[in-house]
Amino acid sequence: MRVREQAAAWAFITPGVAVIGLFGVAPIVWSAILSFQRNNLFSSASPFVGVSNYRQMLHDPIVAQSIEHTLVYAALFVPGTMLVGLVLAVAMNRKIRFISVYRTAAYATMAISTISEALVFIWLFDPSYGIVNYLFSKVGVPQQQFLNSPSEALYVIVIMTIWGWTGFAVVVYLAALQGIPQVLTEAAAIDGASHWTRFRRITVPLLSPASLFLVVWLTINALQLFDEVYLSTQGGPLNSTTVLVYYLYQQAFGGQGNFNFGYASAIAYFLFVIILIVTAVQFRAGRRLVHYRS
Amino acid sequence: MAASTIAIRPGARWRLPFSPWHLLLVPATIVLIFPFVWLLATSVETPAEALHFPPILLPHHLDFSNYPQALQAAPFGRFFLNSAIVAVTTVVSNLVLCSAAGYAFARYRFLGSGLMFVLIMTTLMVPFQVTMIPQYIITKWLGTNVLSAVGINHIGALIVPNAATAFGVFFLRQFFRTLPIEYEEAARVDGASRLTVLWRIVLPLSGPALSTLAALTFLDSWNNFLWPLIAINQTSKMTLPLGLATFQGAHSTEWTLLMAGNVMSLIPMMVIFFAAQRYFVRSVTATGLAGT
Amino acid sequence: MKPRSFGTPLAAAMASVLFAFGLAACGSGQGSSSSSGLQIWEGYTGAEGTAFKHLLGEWNKAHPTEKVTSLYVNNDDSLPKLLTAIKGGSQPDIAYVYGSWAPNVAQIPQVVNLTKLVAQPDVNWTDFWVGERDVATVKGKVVGIPALVDNLAVVYNKKLFAQAGLQPPAANWTWSEFESDAQKLTDAAKKQFGTAYVTPGTEDTVWHWEALLWEAGGAILNSGNTKAAFDTSAGLQSLETLRTMAVTDKSMYLDPTDSEYANLFNSGKIGMLVTGPWDLSAFPNVKYGVQVMPSYPGTDGGHQTISGPDNWVIFNNGAKHVSAAENFLVWLTAAKQDTYFSLATGDLPIRKSVEDAPGFLQQMDKALPGVDTFVTNLNNVQQARPQLPTYPKISTILGNMIVSVLLGKSQPQAALASAAQQVNAALADGSGS
Repeated sequence: MRVREQAAAWAFITPGVAVIGLFGVAPIVWSAILSFQRNNLFSSASPFVGVSNYRQMLHDPIVAQSIEHTLVYAALFVPGTMLVGLVLAVAMNRKIRFISVYRTAAYATMAISTISEALVFIWLFDPSYGIVNYLFSKVGVPQQQFLNSPSEALYVIVIMTIWGWTGFAVVVYLAALQGIPQVLTEAAAIDGASHWTRFRRITVPLLSPASLFLVVWLTINALQLFDEVYLSTQGGPLNSTTVLVYYLYQQAFGGQGNFNFGYASAIAYFLFVIILIVTAVQFRAGRRLVHYRS
Repeated sequence: MAASTIAIRPGARWRLPFSPWHLLLVPATIVLIFPFVWLLATSVETPAEALHFPPILLPHHLDFSNYPQALQAAPFGRFFLNSAIVAVTTVVSNLVLCSAAGYAFARYRFLGSGLMFVLIMTTLMVPFQVTMIPQYIITKWLGTNVLSAVGINHIGALIVPNAATAFGVFFLRQFFRTLPIEYEEAARVDGASRLTVLWRIVLPLSGPALSTLAALTFLDSWNNFLWPLIAINQTSKMTLPLGLATFQGAHSTEWTLLMAGNVMSLIPMMVIFFAAQRYFVRSVTATGLAGT
Repeated sequence: MKPRSFGTPLAAAMASVLFAFGLAACGSGQGSSSSSGLQIWEGYTGAEGTAFKHLLGEWNKAHPTEKVTSLYVNNDDSLPKLLTAIKGGSQPDIAYVYGSWAPNVAQIPQVVNLTKLVAQPDVNWTDFWVGERDVATVKGKVVGIPALVDNLAVVYNKKLFAQAGLQPPAANWTWSEFESDAQKLTDAAKKQFGTAYVTPGTEDTVWHWEALLWEAGGAILNSGNTKAAFDTSAGLQSLETLRTMAVTDKSMYLDPTDSEYANLFNSGKIGMLVTGPWDLSAFPNVKYGVQVMPSYPGTDGGHQTISGPDNWVIFNNGAKHVSAAENFLVWLTAAKQDTYFSLATGDLPIRKSVEDAPGFLQQMDKALPGVDTFVTNLNNVQQARPQLPTYPKISTILGNMIVSVLLGKSQPQAALASAAQQVNAALADGSGS
């Protein structure tokens, strides 16, 4: 590429990159340094301790549990949200009556505050007074303990967060669906392709850049789950909903780890490596599977 | 994909008097809006009703006094103005800066593009809970040494760190790549500059993506809590989420006021969605025409 | 497509950004003036917020050169904000700090040592409850002035007791009476429970049990705070009490989120709650009574309870600020202001002399029925939680122990042994670092 093109490209990215570099990259490098310190937030001394925070992490049983919970959560949340989002977006991508009501209902899930969302779901899934157990009793399903059960609480949080992210997935898929030229599907219809074939052969491939975007973005967010846990179960019962970011927050500010910010940073860096690997794999797979119109 | 094709499908034996998609969308919508019903109901209840469990969805009588009461409890006009300034400025600067960067990443193969993109993406992968202290110190330094309006305890501190986001760059890069490249190449052959191509060809085709990004950025800014909590030390500089938190006391929460405030805080976001949605629809035709 | 001019919209966008910065800059002018006064971070809302603002106004009128401005910071969010500000060197002059953080807060270099201040006669330090003074003092150093005190007692629904044919609890009642009352108050068909317990496993889970442990004559740690001391018959007895109600009788509603139990009590679904005075204002719909904690006969624990006092802490922003902050806190916590605040909010008085003032209890009770029992119950506070930087970690271990018993996941004896072992390890680790 010519020098002028190079210069033009850098001119395009420099303003944005400057902001992201100063407020995104620099703090990350900074906290990387902290992860090699015993950095008690209460005292001024922060001696370097080498990799001891990382070594401590390997022997911390709750870190192991948190990793498991984080991965299980992401593995359910990401496909769940995408599926719900895709189905609703396809349903909403047409001119039928009340369509703006439907769309607004979906978008609205993004706007509600997490505290309201958490309170409603706590109620819906209350073992004694919740609507879900009431419906279960009507159809003969045994009563569940939900948030009181170490084996069920995480799934309630999965459902709660899928609800909260539905609007996001719908918005992204709707925008992508509307970018698909109707001529393509109409031409296929004239050729006699069924709805399902057209959806599978034309729509899904043309949606693949949006799908890649959603996979990456939802995974990045899922692996950093915090708000919903903080506002509902606080990691319980019996650590069954303790995910990595909740745990590191507890380590830094909740006192479980003597307020060692260095240790919290080390856990964050471990999580960073997980996210980086998962994202890299997704991009690599995306390069093979995603259809770009260029 | 048009709904009308269902009706003209040959061999259809029966027809519903309405589109069958309603059968999916009505129950889905009920589930989606349920928390809002609760939110609205609580906002017009008496405190005694709001302290009931299971919650009451149909209050005995509508008590709208929670709304003026919530507004008087704190300088909400000021919070609203602060939130609006922060959100609008953040949206505008994101649209400008992220389109430019996203376009370069989508269409140029320049030296260091891969590395820069990965670097930008990494900022999404470290939780804010550990970067907030460094970010605070950097912001404080900027305020003291460069420009006081972007330092701690100024609303500029709520704008600048989010003036361009990795999310926006990534989002637009993905969408620019879905656009047909032929028009851009044709314009380039005609001697148009890269900037002209971006402005005259790429951005007009990106209506849905830009309006989506605008709506999402607005939302993020409007609901942002942790950073304003850390960066603002004065009531007159608070944004709405900080103001709403004042209803959640250490020992008791004023639920009716909190929910009335929440409903009011939702209104601008819903307005933005309505506006963005109209734009989505309009751009369908534009993109459809572009395909022919 | 009609070609559009590139310049105009971009210029408009840039102008709007610059305009916003202009606004931000304008706003900043008024901010700098506050640096001459004092800033206090507190988490008061509702009646507390109104009363606190009133007191601030009074102070500011009388002290125009030492004006205090307050910033609302939700108590649960205040620690990240406070610690970030301290790391950035922009701490407030005074902050409301949870008592359980005191041992850690004592390590902050900017925290002002108040030992000399409280020795002054006009502070009347011994007038503060002993539980408060214990929590404000870390290794002989006073790091805070009491801001709030509370304690646990039993709040019961009078109507549900009458419906179940039960006598209201008496001041000399026992835990076995509590258990049998809870069982009789439970009605599965009506979804009505005898009592409730919060199970997120946080300190809120833990301190409810610590009261039982002390009533059974037990202790959390040994006297030197070097070893766990709860793995005893007292520990077993207290956990068995909880287990009987949660697992065997199913008379205890387990609240996984720490948010529903109060509303359930207010909705007439729960017979008795072990809780503090802060919840009374959340029970407008039921007629309730308040009784002291039950006892375990045959032990010397009696009807003692637990208290969770919080502190005002001063951070060093120069000698002038420190002395102004000290003057303000001495004034704020004096008997006159304390009386005003308690009567306006229903919060317990932080000074014993306020409780003893003639007519005070009756006035309190008129404002918030039942609160007088909580005030006199302060005399049942005989000990404080261990004042150790490792206490939050110990609390996490105890929280898991209690929840695992409540959910029927482990037997009390095994849970105690395992928790004691973990606590000992945490203590050994904490002293080593």
